[in-house]
Amino acid sequence: MEVNMYKGASHKIWSVLMVSPFVILFLLFWALPLVLGVWVSLHNWNISSGNLGFVSLENYKSILTPGTLYYDLFMKGLKNTLYFVVISVPPLVLISLGLALVIDNLPKRLKPIYRTIFFISYSISVTAVSAIFLWLFNGNGGYFNNVLESIGVIREPINWLGEQPYAWLTILITTVWWTIGFNMMLFINALDEVDVALYEAADLDGAGAFSKFISVTWPQIRNVAFFIIIMTVIASFNLYGQTKLITGGGPEQSTNSLIMNIQTSVFGMNQLGIGSAMAIIMGLIMMVIIVLQYWLSYRNKE
Amino acid sequence: MKITKFLALVVSVFLLLAGCSNGSSSSGPEKTSDGKIKISFINGFTGGDGAYMKKITEAFNKSQDKYVVTELQEKDHYTKFKSGNYDLVVIHGNNLETYKQDGLIQDIGPVIKKAGIKESDFHQAGLDIAKLDGGMFAVPLDIHPLTMFYNKDLIAEAPKTYEDLKALNTKLQAQNKDTYALGIPSSGLVEFYMLMIAAQNGVDLKDGEQLNFAQEEYADALMQFHDIVWEDKVSPPKLGLDGEFQTFMKEAKEGKSYQTAVALTGPWFYGAAKEKYGDKLGVAPIPQIGSELASYGNAHTIALSAKVEDEKVKEGIAEYLKFMFTPENLINWADGGQAPVHLGTLEKIEAEQEKYQIAYQNSKQFENYVSPPQVYQFGEQMRYMNESVFSKLVTTENFTKKDLMKELEKATKVAEQVAATAPKK
Repeated sequence: MEVNMYKGASHKIWSVLMVSPFVILFLLFWALPLVLGVWVSLHNWNISSGNLGFVSLENYKSILTPGTLYYDLFMKGLKNTLYFVVISVPPLVLISLGLALVIDNLPKRLKPIYRTIFFISYSISVTAVSAIFLWLFNGNGGYFNNVLESIGVIREPINWLGEQPYAWLTILITTVWWTIGFNMMLFINALDEVDVALYEAADLDGAGAFSKFISVTWPQIRNVAFFIIIMTVIASFNLYGQTKLITGGGPEQSTNSLIMNIQTSVFGMNQLGIGSAMAIIMGLIMMVIIVLQYWLSYRNKE
Repeated sequence: MKITKFLALVVSVFLLLAGCSNGSSSSGPEKTSDGKIKISFINGFTGGDGAYMKKITEAFNKSQDKYVVTELQEKDHYTKFKSGNYDLVVIHGNNLETYKQDGLIQDIGPVIKKAGIKESDFHQAGLDIAKLDGGMFAVPLDIHPLTMFYNKDLIAEAPKTYEDLKALNTKLQAQNKDTYALGIPSSGLVEFYMLMIAAQNGVDLKDGEQLNFAQEEYADALMQFHDIVWEDKVSPPKLGLDGEFQTFMKEAKEGKSYQTAVALTGPWFYGAAKEKYGDKLGVAPIPQIGSELASYGNAHTIALSAKVEDEKVKEGIAEYLKFMFTPENLINWADGGQAPVHLGTLEKIEAEQEKYQIAYQNSKQFENYVSPPQVYQFGEQMRYMNESVFSKLVTTENFTKKDLMKELEKATKVAEQVAATAPKK
């Protein structure tokens, strides 16, 4: 019996059984929703009154036709989200790399302590993070305004949440504080992988810290850095909790992210078909951007 | 061969899962194990008032042995109601028309007749909200209008007009330049502000099936909020979300934080204000800011799902409503800070004005209450006004009426497009 387990028909059944939990969950929570989403996006589907019939690409058309309600929602959301991607990805990658380098050069005893300190904010829920920063950035008597006024940096209180560019700055600072630990961990692991012998060789050649980073460290962590950039772009695209809870999309809808507007289409306007079409276009845009990044990085290697 | 086997396995597991999920397809009302008919009631009372509604429901369940009401209090109760199966639902006054047009609720008239509840049991303000096309589409529960709180340390008597507020402001500013009469927020309760000023200037925003904001008189009315902040400087500038209440709760600190003596805000903040100010907290109807006295606010109503057909369930609902709409029981709702529109309960509130301070003061506003315009997707038609226009109006110092008109036209265009999504009649 036991010998047979690894042979013939029994072996096949076992392998199918072993892989089936993944396959089933994958189908149930990834493939099926995706197919369903595409299908719904081709229908006039109302949350309240149900499926009102097949409309082929009509939903996509009204999202992409200037002047319609859904075009405005989608484009405004896309513009705001792209803006956030542009301002958030560089600090999220560079600051985490900086922190990782600092921690990598710390004495061995201190490494785990600082690693934990920087990572711990990542484990807090977005609700709690938003509550904290909402309080810190309050315009009337908030903590940051009080500090800045006390040390004489500003004279008038700054309306952090109700004026641009401060509202974006608030969202950016919150996001960096909240998620920096994750990227940092990945960079620390990548730095750990770098062969010590390479540094020793560089030392013999009399390389300084900077040229060691450029010629030794960077080529070794490049692939991880590329992965981190892609993950960060995806995460920034999915901006939702911070803007929903801290600025509520304001001032004047300028921090309404694409996901917030998709939510408005579905749960505010009842248009599930339109919302699904928006989500699919959003997915396609993200794919294009990631493929572009992939291609650029690949081309650079050549 | 391999693939077919594998597919067969996947399909069978799917079928198994599908089989698990769809168990009950029974006929007749759902019953508990001891034979009571189940009635489900969903609402969004997740704040401090939730406990008081639970009290009423629990007392009902104890009082008889034929029915049991399961009350669910959910933050996202509208979404849950749309996608789930509930018998009774709390719907805000400004959403009732939408739910009626979407066919999600039904005429509750026959059920309340069964309960022995008459239209004359309610204040006219409540009826204005719950009656659509001549039919009762909900039982009006309460109205929560824009409410005035005032700090008795800073002002002895409630201001009644805008002139009173200006005089108060001059006095407060002379004492401390960080103390103002009131605060105008840039987001939060701004829908109440914009509809209140329409009501106080006799502007009717409803135009056919949509809201029409692009009216000269409405632009003039709205400009007053800009002037309150930038011309008369009765409010500190650039207050954010819920700024009217936050500044009311703050203490003026030299150049660091503003304080206001009066807040035009939501009655749900009463608990927090009472805790801070105790006997120093004054509550009164809002002052006249526009050309006539009028109050505005939203309301809670109890509606009957269109899915309820079973007569036995309807009888149970009638029993429940009959129980709830007796003054001894509904007074709990006033205890929770809400102002019921049920006349019998209002009498009880009037007899104990001090105990039911906020309910009593708000019930005084019913007399000149103007209800939300009954249009499809009211909230979505208002969205651009709420999220964009008001904030521009009160935070931009050199905002002109011409700028405003442009925005109002844009908002009207949005409202028109939203109104067009209504189901065909």
